[in-house]
Order: sequence, then structure tokens, then C-alpha cells
Amino acid sequence: MSDVRPEDETARDAAPNETSVDADAGAVDEDEDADDVPPHRARPRSGRYDSDRRQGTPYTESQVIMPTVKIVAPFAFTYGLFITFHGAGSPGGGFQGGAIMAAVVFMIAFAFGIEATRDWLANTVVVALAVGGALAFAGIGLIPVARGGAFLQYDLLPIPVKYGLESVEVFGIAAIVTGVLMGLFFLLARGFASEGTGFGEGGDDESDDDATDETETASNDADGVGGDLGPSGSDRTPAADGGER
Amino acid sequence: MTGTALLAAAAGNLLPAVTRAPFVVSAQTTAVPAQITAVEGSLLAFVVLTALATALARDVLAAVIVFGAYSLGMAALYTFYRAPDVALTEAAISAGVTTVLLLLTLAKTTRIEHDVAFESVNLPAVGAVGLLFGGLLLTMGDIPAVGSPDAPVWSNPDVTQWYLAESYAQTGVENTVMAVLAAFRGFDTFGEAVVVFAGGIAALIVLHREVFA
Repeated sequence: MSDVRPEDETARDAAPNETSVDADAGAVDEDEDADDVPPHRARPRSGRYDSDRRQGTPYTESQVIMPTVKIVAPFAFTYGLFITFHGAGSPGGGFQGGAIMAAVVFMIAFAFGIEATRDWLANTVVVALAVGGALAFAGIGLIPVARGGAFLQYDLLPIPVKYGLESVEVFGIAAIVTGVLMGLFFLLARGFASEGTGFGEGGDDESDDDATDETETASNDADGVGGDLGPSGSDRTPAADGGER
Repeated sequence: MTGTALLAAAAGNLLPAVTRAPFVVSAQTTAVPAQITAVEGSLLAFVVLTALATALARDVLAAVIVFGAYSLGMAALYTFYRAPDVALTEAAISAGVTTVLLLLTLAKTTRIEHDVAFESVNLPAVGAVGLLFGGLLLTMGDIPAVGSPDAPVWSNPDVTQWYLAESYAQTGVENTVMAVLAAFRGFDTFGEAVVVFAGGIAALIVLHREVFA
């Protein structure tokens, strides 16, 4: 099996010396313009379009989409906030409102470029929303337990029952949904980390792969990721990396 | 051929009992007169047609786009049936977010160019689906009419009517759906939220990434 993945955007914005290495043979290098097309790449005569070639320009400024999004985005975001905060009195709630707010970010990304939006919206925000939402929900649920009640027993909260429900919707569900959906969007836009190893095929071949992986991770960590996502790239050994994956 | 059959079957659900009489085995139908409006009928036709087009479209991009239209039609249908919470979820998640994520995935993968617009229909598969569909249609006679006040899901005094009567007194929240979701079954909702969170983590693992953005 081939574990060389299409590295669309990583190949574009990564260092030029960073090539994918086949874990088994190490023979498939510089597959960008090579004649022997690796299995995951489509041959031109087969009627298939390679993703690199098809989206040769990943982002083009559109004079229609950009002003439209500029006008629509504030209203859509306000609508998402309304759905979230007014879920107690009207249809909606944290799940729907959070999805709408995440969709506003998708809109902005489609209008102004995914990479630009990714730079604008730091990873810290996404992670803080998802993790903070889960912790907030669990915390609100556990406060009554600490007071001798049941999980999510709202009448033991120091606030009225209605605001207990509201805070679960707003700080818990909406935050989780917004964060995870935005995270999925950016993850899918970036794609598979092809400079890593294949699935469970650890070995000594990819030691220099891991070097580039670590530098990239370190540069991403400079954005302020901190220890939010568990072990960072710097304290991982290649063996543990290969074994873990 | 399947399209017309499916359409006729879907319409037979809401048309007078004459239409669905051949399917009904237990003859205790309470023949509710048909009150299908033009809006409802066109929405149903739209949903069925887009569902068929999604299944039959040869091009994946076309299927994704038509699937978004199907979700939009479903959202309108839910609104029509006075389920605005479900409609909002369907519109935001299914028509919006899912379509965007599928398009994004499509942009990252190889797309195959086709000469024909639709898949060729596999006749044994159509037969199997038709058998299952016919079997489901046999149960249609016992299902209460849409919006019927006698439907058990509505008239049940221990469940539906109890929550409708008690949710405001116990939670102070006007939206009964939210009261049920966040209070009466709050632990389930907590589990669902954690599942969403875990889905994000799983995507990180599958894509070999350590940061979202």
C-alpha cells in the first residue's frame, strides 16, 4: 500500500526541501511532476483531475462574494448569537446557534481565503471554545454534585434554574459546537499530514520526516497553543511517534 | 421508473385512502380526508426528487450540491410541520455545515469526470429497495394522520402533555424543547456534547494533526 498522501497545501506552504518519503521503499520522491505517477495521483489520460492541478489557484478574490459576505456576515453572526442566547424563549438553542456562528466563519473563509482566516482566527480560540465548552458543561453539572445533589440539578445552582439552563446552552453546547465545527473545517482544509508516517507503519525511515514534522508543529505552537492538546511535538521521540501512529 | 413509483408512493401517504387501499392489509383505517396543500405537496415532491437525484447523480460534486438542496427542502418541510427547532438544526447542520465540509473534502480529493449525468440503475437493487419500501408502506395505514390530535405521541397524558404542562413551572423556560434537552435529559445532552467534542479530537488523530487551525 502506498502511504504517500496528496500534500496539497502542506507542499505549498511548507519548506521547499520537505518532500514526502515512502516509508517502505523511500523511492517515491519529487512526485510533483514525475512521469511515474504514484497510485493516489490520477493519470491525465484517465479522465480524472488531480486535485493539485484542478485547484491550481486555491483562492481567487471574487468581487461578488466578498462584498456579499461583508454585508451578510454581521447579520448572520447576530442571528447565531440570538438563536443561542434566546433559545429559552424561542426555537433554537446552543447547538443551532453555535452551528450558525461556525457557518459565519466558513463564509468568511470562502470569501477571503481559508489560509487568511486561519491566520486571523488563532488555534487558541478554536481549542479554547471546544475545551472550555466541555469543561463549562461538566462544571455546571458538577456544582450541584458538590452541594450534595445530582448531576445537573439546576435548583442547587446559585442562580435561578432558567439561567442554569441558559448557561449550559451558551457556555457549554454553543461553545463546543462552534469550536469543533470550526476546527473540522480548518482540519479538512489542511488535509492529511502527509509528512508523517502511514497508519501504524512505524520505522526508522521516517526519522527526518519527524524532524520536519516537529519544526512545523513547533512553529504552530508559537501561536500560543500551549499544552492544550496534550503532548506537543518537541518532546516526542520518533520511535514513540511511529509506534503511536 | 423508480422515480415515479417512489413519488406515487410518497404521495399515497397523504392522498385519500383510495390510493393506498392496495397497500393496506389491516382494514381499520380511519380514512382521514386528504388535506394536502400546494405548499406541502410541492415541498414533498422537491424532497423526493432531490433525494433521488442525490442517489443517482454520477458526479460526486453534483450529488453534494443536490444533497444540500434536499436538506434545505427538509428544513422547509419541518418548518411547515411546526418543528422549528428541528428545522433550524437541519438548515444549519445538514444544509450548511455538512455541505461545506463535503465540498471541502471533495476539493482535497480526486474528482472523476463523467460523460453521463446519472448512474445506471441496478435492477436487483431497485427490487430489494422496492420490497423494503412496500413493506414499510404496509404499515402506513396504522400511522396517525399528520397533526392528528389523537396521535399517541401527542395525546399521551404521561409524557407529552406532562412535559408541556410542567416544563415551564419546573425550569422557567418557555421553549419546551430546550427544557427537555437541557434539564429533563440534561445528562444525555452532556453525553452528546462530549461526543461532538470527541469527534473533533478524532478528526485530529485521523488527519495526523496536532492543531486545529
